[in-house]
Amino acid sequence: MNHTEALVNLTWMGRNADLAQPVFYLATDAEIRAWVTEAVRFGGVSGLPADGPVDLRDFVVDRFPASETIPYNRIFVRPKTPFGAA
Amino acid sequence: MKTLVVVGVGALGSHAVLFSRNLPVALVLVDFDRVESKNVLAQVHPRTALGRNKAEAMKQTLLGLFGTRVEAIPHRLVPENVDTLLGRADLVLDCVDNGATRRLIQAWVRNHKVPCLHGALSAGGDFARVVWDDHFVVDDEATTGAATCEDGAILPFAGMAGAMIADVLAEHLRGGTRRSVQLGAGGWQVLARDR
Repeated sequence: MNHTEALVNLTWMGRNADLAQPVFYLATDAEIRAWVTEAVRFGGVSGLPADGPVDLRDFVVDRFPASETIPYNRIFVRPKTPFGAA
Repeated sequence: MKTLVVVGVGALGSHAVLFSRNLPVALVLVDFDRVESKNVLAQVHPRTALGRNKAEAMKQTLLGLFGTRVEAIPHRLVPENVDTLLGRADLVLDCVDNGATRRLIQAWVRNHKVPCLHGALSAGGDFARVVWDDHFVVDDEATTGAATCEDGAILPFAGMAGAMIADVLAEHLRGGTRRSVQLGAGGWQVLARDR
């Protein structure tokens, strides 16, 4: 993986997995959501079920650039987390 | 001793405080809300606290069960009192349940350069972020006033996330490291580890 690419991690249906292939780090959020959706639908994300509808439109795309401690770009696609108390 | 101000002691905050009780900090708890019967399902508050302010109830629980003394402030954090309520903080823990208050906290800690850890749960109560302010993005509810995580089924996960918050705080207090993580049913991932 080079410096223009990123590892993508998805949290979906309570499970979490990395995509097998890196993506372009500066791709738009919409592009990343679309690629991840397709990857899940076609069973391309090990550890995540491919059955049932996959809708990531409301998911958040977080980007973490390479750092000293983690030397590669990462993108996290995740559900919103608006709550803390109740 | 440093002062840790915890804003919000509900599903996530009450567990975070429970597991943070041995940290070398003076704990100050801020919450305006009262304990309802549904809260007993997934929060640390006991039935004997029904109707009481959550910050006061947590203070009583920590004192009664563990002999731990904390300060309780039974007020809502608003722009008019944010300087007063957060002004003593060396460290802030945000466990509130709405975007407006999170933004108020975020603006204040950035303006005053006070380290802040945010704890945040998904609506399903099966995904959480424990993220230092440098990396924190405020997520709003899909609809204002949407139901929060009230189901007792989230209790184990809320406890796990609360314990993670305490562990991240302990690491920071030991050496200044700021570890941000996300948690799901399958485990957790480190998002960043800064110094």
